[in-house]
Amino acid sequence: MVTELKQEETLKDIWEPKILAFLCNWCSYAGADLAGVSRIQYPPTIRVVRVPCSGRVSPYFIIKGLLDGWDGIIVSGCHPGDCHYLTGNLVARRRFAILKELLEFFGIEPGRVNFMWASAAEGERFANLIKKATEIVKKLGPNKKFESKW
Amino acid sequence: MVISVSIESENRDIENSMKETARALLKEKKVDVIIGYSKGTVPLSSAPILIRNVDEVERLVWNNLCYINLAKYLVPRIPQLIDPEKGDLNVGIITKGCVGRALIHLRTENQINLENVIMIGIPCNGIINRKKIEKEIGENEILELFTSGNEIIVKGKDFEKKFSFEDYVNELCKVCKIKAPPKIKELQGSYVGECQEVSSIDDNFEDLTEFESKPTVEKWNYIKDTLQTCTRCYACREACPMCYCKLCFVDQNKPIWFQKTTEISDIISFHLVRAMHLAGRCVACGACSSVCPVGIDLNLINRKLEKIVKERFDFTSGIDASKMPPMMEYSMDDAEEFMLEED
Amino acid sequence: MKSEIGKLYIELNEEFNFYAPIKVKGNLEFKKILNPDDIVLDYYNSKVPPKEILFPKTDILFEYKTDGKNVTEIIERTDLDEKNIIFGIRPCDAHSFVILETFFAFGDVEDEIFLKKRANSLIIGIGCNTPRSTCFCTSIEGHPFMKDDMDIFLVDLGEKYLVEGISEKGKELMSRLKWLSDADRKDIKKARELYEQAEHSIETKLDLKDINKILDPHFEHPIWAEISDICIGCGTCSFLCPTCTCFDVIDEMDQYHNKGRRFRIWDTCQFCLYTLHTSGHNPRDSCIERCRNRILHKFCYYPENYNMLGCVGCGRCIQLCPVNNDLRVIIEKLNSIKTKKEEKVSA
Repeated sequence: MVTELKQEETLKDIWEPKILAFLCNWCSYAGADLAGVSRIQYPPTIRVVRVPCSGRVSPYFIIKGLLDGWDGIIVSGCHPGDCHYLTGNLVARRRFAILKELLEFFGIEPGRVNFMWASAAEGERFANLIKKATEIVKKLGPNKKFESKW
Repeated sequence: MVISVSIESENRDIENSMKETARALLKEKKVDVIIGYSKGTVPLSSAPILIRNVDEVERLVWNNLCYINLAKYLVPRIPQLIDPEKGDLNVGIITKGCVGRALIHLRTENQINLENVIMIGIPCNGIINRKKIEKEIGENEILELFTSGNEIIVKGKDFEKKFSFEDYVNELCKVCKIKAPPKIKELQGSYVGECQEVSSIDDNFEDLTEFESKPTVEKWNYIKDTLQTCTRCYACREACPMCYCKLCFVDQNKPIWFQKTTEISDIISFHLVRAMHLAGRCVACGACSSVCPVGIDLNLINRKLEKIVKERFDFTSGIDASKMPPMMEYSMDDAEEFMLEED
Repeated sequence: MKSEIGKLYIELNEEFNFYAPIKVKGNLEFKKILNPDDIVLDYYNSKVPPKEILFPKTDILFEYKTDGKNVTEIIERTDLDEKNIIFGIRPCDAHSFVILETFFAFGDVEDEIFLKKRANSLIIGIGCNTPRSTCFCTSIEGHPFMKDDMDIFLVDLGEKYLVEGISEKGKELMSRLKWLSDADRKDIKKARELYEQAEHSIETKLDLKDINKILDPHFEHPIWAEISDICIGCGTCSFLCPTCTCFDVIDEMDQYHNKGRRFRIWDTCQFCLYTLHTSGHNPRDSCIERCRNRILHKFCYYPENYNMLGCVGCGRCIQLCPVNNDLRVIIEKLNSIKTKKEEKVSA
């Protein structure tokens, strides 16, 4: 009896969220690299897609990600003013502001989709933010909203 | 919204002055054709009409069922408004507030040349929410609908029901602040009839506080419940003056981003992305909800779009041709309170 | 008795999928019934036509599994042999099934999914005591009490229904329902009265005799620009027409779970992409050609190819067109071409 209960508990703990992360090539991807090289530990929940700039990330990617069943989505770019393409992240910031409000309005938990800035020198910051995002998504549980698709 | 005068006498005044203006424009040959509304052949509807000579002006009507946004016929311009030799005809268009907003916003987006368009402004007093009334009446056939005093009277074969005008206009019309077309400096000569000087709107979006205070799960259930009957007929897209893309995102097949089935996930993704595309562009005319054959009310989403751009960027579409729409601009000072930050 | 509908449901529900009109978010649609109390029988006609039962908006054709590279298994539909009862359908919609069948059974490749479902469906229809002002079934050689296309025909006599078996299938089902009582002469007389009353109450009458002979030679007539000037190309008329059949076939792949499916969804000739060629040329580039195509399809091509009109006179397109492009006005305008021509000839 006792061993059966224990198994149930560990199975529940085992669920790890799967988070889709769009990292801009020049800042955030390099920052993630730095975190890796410096051996900074952070939860292995993200699956990285490298994009040239956070401005490349279209709302289609994010919404399609939610439809495909990803538990969380992160978009990370350069700090405003530091974009390699000068203004790409500013365009992205406006887009994300509207998308985030609209997703919340439709009833998709606000913690699922997160946006952040992380520069190439900020390995530790990158790891901290991924840790924070993972905790938020873990609390929300698996994404079952669009289950009919799969 | 306080109604002080009887609705049908307001309508009569609007209709008469509209017809006078139309006659004058055609007589003086300032326009070749006028686009307006005519009486529908079934109750609860109105039919847009193209008028080419003074005798036909009698067919123009104004009533609270003129829900189509006439700007749709100008972008892209329908072939009936183009002469094979002369090119674009001079068009007079019966313009209520939201139609005027649509025309100005389309000009801001460089989709229309308003040089050959004259806006015959009228002060719209609200469009009746016909789907709401149909649902109240249920399975009885409505044979007649008219306004009297502050009420809407609906008659059928063996019934007569009254509805309060205030309660049964479109949700968007209830909070509308731009009833006559906004006048912009760049188009001084394009207006006849009523128009208004508008520089900015005061709107506290009270009508949204109740929905926005609901917990996330309830919001999702409400949205799912409202949208589940969608047949994907795209009447909302075709009636919207802002949906002028040659290839709509749902029709894209390299790659297929969002499917076209009537499963709830696909329906929600269609409306979510369409709302995203209309942020900062929707002029709150309510045509999308009025034309929906299964009576889905998209007004809540449209109001939220207006709220987002008003609160974040102090922008209202279609009132100021010099201001860039928010999605066509960016600034170093944009608010970023929603970004993830370290503790 | 009307109250015995519940009994009918309970008796038949085990063997058949029972479809009847119910209200979904305020709209009357034909759906599979789970609770007989939901059935609505006091109505004019449903908003979404019953073609949806045999030809749904989203119809999965088959599913498949892959191993990452190639398809390993195709899973066919297993529900096509289930038996259906379609209850509470109107004569116009019952006739639409005949028109739909002509389309899906035409030529060398028959549509198995539709035809199997149709063969397994039993239609219990109800005559229209009060047709709508926009109904015009009598103009297309139909009638509010037409029972030829049904298996069992019901007449609403007020407190009870008069039940008549039309086809062999229908008569067989009726014999199983032992609790049906015999009709007396009063009932039959009342039914006859209702029949004539309904026929007289049809207000809309369209002159559709030889309409295809007017349409055929006037393909390029300028009247088409006039008829279609306000059409916005939304597709409402086709989607809610009981005889419109166009569909699109789409594949959907779930790469994460190595499976996929192919399905078909309703499509309409009113969309601008419908006839877009890969070269970029579009023979139906504007609403003029597309609006013309729909009218010709129903009133010219159908009579010429299948010897029947492609319209059942239900009036849904008239009621639901968002810009009120009234079919009755269109037919009148088209008929006026004929009279103008005759005037010219006589003058």
